Amino acid sequence: MKAQVKAQVKAQGTANAQRQFDPVAGHPTPQVAFADVTLDLGGKTIIENLSLGVQPAEFLCIVGASGCGKTTALRLAAGLYQPTRGKVTFDGQPMREPRREIAIVFQDYGKALLPWRTAAGNVSLALEAGGMPAAERPARIEELLRTVGLPGHAGKYPAEMSGGMQQRLQIARCLAQEPKTLLMDEPFGALDAMTRQGLQDEVLSLVAASGVTVIFVTHDLDEAIYLGDRVIGLLPHPGRIGIELPVNLPRPRDQLSTREHPEFLRLRRQLFDFIKATEQ
Amino acid sequence: MKTTGILWRLASFAVAAGFVALWQLIANFKLVSPVFLPGPDRAWASLVRGFSSGDLLAKLAGTVEHMAYGWLAASIAGIALGAVIGSSPRMRTYVAPSLEFLRPLPVSAIIPVAIAMLGLTQAMALFVIAFGAIWPIMLATIHGFAAVEPRLYEVARSLQMSKLAVIFKIALPSASPDILAGMRLSLTVALILAVVCEILAGLDGLGHWVLLSARAFRSADLFAGVILLGVTGYVTSVAMSLAEHRLLAWQASQR
Repeated sequence: MKAQVKAQVKAQGTANAQRQFDPVAGHPTPQVAFADVTLDLGGKTIIENLSLGVQPAEFLCIVGASGCGKTTALRLAAGLYQPTRGKVTFDGQPMREPRREIAIVFQDYGKALLPWRTAAGNVSLALEAGGMPAAERPARIEELLRTVGLPGHAGKYPAEMSGGMQQRLQIARCLAQEPKTLLMDEPFGALDAMTRQGLQDEVLSLVAASGVTVIFVTHDLDEAIYLGDRVIGLLPHPGRIGIELPVNLPRPRDQLSTREHPEFLRLRRQLFDFIKATEQ
Repeated sequence: MKTTGILWRLASFAVAAGFVALWQLIANFKLVSPVFLPGPDRAWASLVRGFSSGDLLAKLAGTVEHMAYGWLAASIAGIALGAVIGSSPRMRTYVAPSLEFLRPLPVSAIIPVAIAMLGLTQAMALFVIAFGAIWPIMLATIHGFAAVEPRLYEVARSLQMSKLAVIFKIALPSASPDILAGMRLSLTVALILAVVCEILAGLDGLGHWVLLSARAFRSADLFAGVILLGVTGYVTSVAMSLAEHRLLAWQASQR
């Protein structure tokens, strides 16, 4: 099994020699790895022969036309789906079920939060699940809410908060899991442009501070390039990798200068052409 | 805003007072024979007399006891069964037809069966009341558990929450508005069945009191009992909505 993963990683390494996170040289074992994964759901093949390695602390973005299986790939990484063939591994171990080291931020924050718990209570859910003693929770909750920019909102119910605030709250709950990998499924898809840009930068600084690995699914190509160390474009029916682009843009990224960087524009052009081609 | 609320409250009291006045007039002019219809004055006097002698209080306690035990038993069993059935789609498919058969069955039809099996006993009353009151609670719980947002179960899975934690932290709170609504409906059913059981089995309670008063043509006592039953129903339902309001404070923010 290990040999299989290694072979797959090596194959990818040669395909992308200039990648920022070289799997062979830097990290012998990817944190999250898909080895020849196929998933059939309801008689249809959603994902076919997907092989992918995500290095620790890497920020990987997955883009693709709608229905290409990007959310499904994320759910496989979360352990919410089991592959029909092939293997999904985390730190070299096969994923049989979801685990606490992998947190997932859902797009529909309104459904993923407990409406009967306050902001503090929602964060507390993850701490309770992690077995933190009740006495230690309030301080940690306050810290986490401050981290995501929600200080002073601890007593509010989700319904009393704006969409952006609810998504921050969901991120706080995911951070409370102390994840090694953060999976984000179009987390800002339902938010307005200003809120979205603010949250992009906050996620980037959170990730930089914690060193967490991120797999970020989005349909917004600019967002993918802006955030990622690497962008993968999926081809639809069935979902498989169509393009893989390392993003060699300097960090920290900046909403204005990064988006005007010639490299950004080049990547943007390349991705747009790819997506256009898949839609025909 | 607040003054209009008080005015509405006053108006509703005025309407109630109007009905009592009308009742008094009908009794005073003997439009209905006093043997059957006492005035509110006589009913009130009987109520006071009954309480000062302690008779009525004992009967009231009996009825409240029947109602409360039956309702509590129905709540516990209804929520437990509803949770088991509601949280498993397979269970729902298996059990649903049987439930559809049992649910519309008039509980009064069960009473002779219960009497045959348990005799004219408190146990019989408890069984009948619980059997009647369980349906609204159980069906509401099934619905509440079946309607839990699937996303929340995924959140629970990714947090690796235990089965017990999922039930108590996710499913039960999520279903609580449905469950409480079912419990409120059952409260009325429990009161009705408590009275019916007392009448049929001669158990100590307001039902029995009302029956004996009617047979002895003591119409004032009869009405005192009926008024007391009305008050019981009203007070329990107000208490229930207060409890609902407190427990579901989070829902207020959603509207």
